[in-house]
Amino acid sequence: MNWGNQRDILVFVEQKSGQPVNAGLEGLTSAHALAEVSGGRVLALLAGADNSAGVKRAASCGADVILSVQGASFQNGCGDAFFYALEQMAGKYHPGAVIAANTPLGQELTARFSARHGLGNVQDAVALRIQDGTPVWTVPAYGGTILTNVVPNAVPFAATVRSGAFQKAVTTAKKPLIVEEMVSVPDSALHTKVLESVREIAEEINLEDAKVIVAGGRGMGNKENFALVEELAKVLGGVVGATRPAIESGWVSRAHQVGQSGKTVAPALYIGCGISGAIQHVSSIMNSGYIVAVNKDEDAPIFDIANIGIVGDVMQILPVMIEEIKKRKAG
Amino acid sequence: MEILVCVKQVPDDSVAVHLKQGTQKVNLEGITAVVNAFDTYALEMAVRLKEAVGGTVTVVTIGGEETKSAVKDCLAVGADQGFLVSDPSFAGADMLGKSRILAAAAKYLEKVSGKPFDIIFCGREATDHANGQVGCQLAETLGVGIVTDLVDIEKTKAGVCCRKQTEEGYLRIESPCPCVVTVSKPAYDPRYPTIKSKLAARRMSIPVLTLEQLGNIPVQRHGFCTVKVFEPPKRKAGVKIQEEDSSDSAQKAIKMMVDAKLL
Repeated sequence: MNWGNQRDILVFVEQKSGQPVNAGLEGLTSAHALAEVSGGRVLALLAGADNSAGVKRAASCGADVILSVQGASFQNGCGDAFFYALEQMAGKYHPGAVIAANTPLGQELTARFSARHGLGNVQDAVALRIQDGTPVWTVPAYGGTILTNVVPNAVPFAATVRSGAFQKAVTTAKKPLIVEEMVSVPDSALHTKVLESVREIAEEINLEDAKVIVAGGRGMGNKENFALVEELAKVLGGVVGATRPAIESGWVSRAHQVGQSGKTVAPALYIGCGISGAIQHVSSIMNSGYIVAVNKDEDAPIFDIANIGIVGDVMQILPVMIEEIKKRKAG
Repeated sequence: MEILVCVKQVPDDSVAVHLKQGTQKVNLEGITAVVNAFDTYALEMAVRLKEAVGGTVTVVTIGGEETKSAVKDCLAVGADQGFLVSDPSFAGADMLGKSRILAAAAKYLEKVSGKPFDIIFCGREATDHANGQVGCQLAETLGVGIVTDLVDIEKTKAGVCCRKQTEEGYLRIESPCPCVVTVSKPAYDPRYPTIKSKLAARRMSIPVLTLEQLGNIPVQRHGFCTVKVFEPPKRKAGVKIQEEDSSDSAQKAIKMMVDAKLL
């Protein structure tokens, strides 16, 4: 693989409420693997109204250089402003690859970048392996039932990485170089205008790092019943997860969604309640340490991957489980 | 408003896709081809917008003759006309290639009708490859604005006002027309066809656009090649507990979890 004079790897580290998102930092890990073969540096690009917290965090996750772009244009989540910053930095540093988190913003930026420059682009990568100096990316298809290995045959290229698929890099002793980059976004770069940003979901749900997840699906029946899922999660010190039907029914906010359009998770213990096991959901919990499933349909696909499958009515099983765990905790 | 909706035909995503035994070829035999779910949401949003402000909803898709059924499905639920873009040279086009094909098709349709599109709708992603790229790449190729992950839209004086879903809430974003938008799952479901609308759709002709109309489009693959297609390692099923008394089942499960040092 010939990197020519495009050896640096540029990672767009997305921030939310002033903090880098997990997959943004995890992007630095794959960038490191690439930089080792390209012989370049890992450049972390942060764009925000105030990058102070984000820069600190990115510095401990293995960036060689942090490009900090600050300004009011990046306050309200306008994709055009972030894309302009990315374009400017890519134009200045000529990276061999541009990496972002596989979030809506990361997808948009890499899509636009690849379209503007006619580049190859891999999305939602779940693994990266270097084989004879060539990066081999693994990407899922068909809800995760099929995986494909792809290799770039030209630089630069773009990629997004799935949240939780790559470990965050450990703190390196080396201090990164922090560069304040001045980027003022001209009006001509702004096709769209953010009028208002509304926060509806106040809770911070960290499914990716959870050790225990108790998730509920359509089989919970209604919002009142879904409270049992929440109670079981509470007694186990776990996080509440949910399938798409449970969220679309309004039983719990979409911050809890596990599955293709939600989060991929890998807790030590996953308990699925009233979840039949749609392909997209099953793929997203596959790497859990131990899976327990409760469902009244004994042919539910989730039983095919569960360590323990309890065939029965969630409304009868869950209260007993909750009581038993409470008793054990008290004793 | 003149509205274009780009749709993709995909295998029914409620069916697990596997490889043909002993090969690296995806086996789609026997799986019903459907319109990508997010594209059905995009179409419904487009049709509602048209119903509110007037205009025309045109549907376009890329594929072989068999893809016409996807267009017919769209005609039965509110689209006014539909086109198939088809050419042997499109086989193997990647995301960017498809975006360029769609851009060329949009330009061609505008030229023929004399009416430029005000807005182009796409689903946020397709359920087969879930790349979420084509809408954004189409906007970039056309040099117009893009708003992604819509759950609602309305016409304004300046163009359109979009409600874009975010992880913790939503953004209200205004864009002048023309623009491209991608659609997530709105609060409503797409309408169902009626027998009458299905019959009417079946009778409509679906013109095919080829390179002859669209001119040369650079659809070579961009920079990546596939080296291996495989299935992820399977997880084995463990034990099934099905006692007569659910309380016994629950207790048995708890005991096993304790033994596995999970509690």
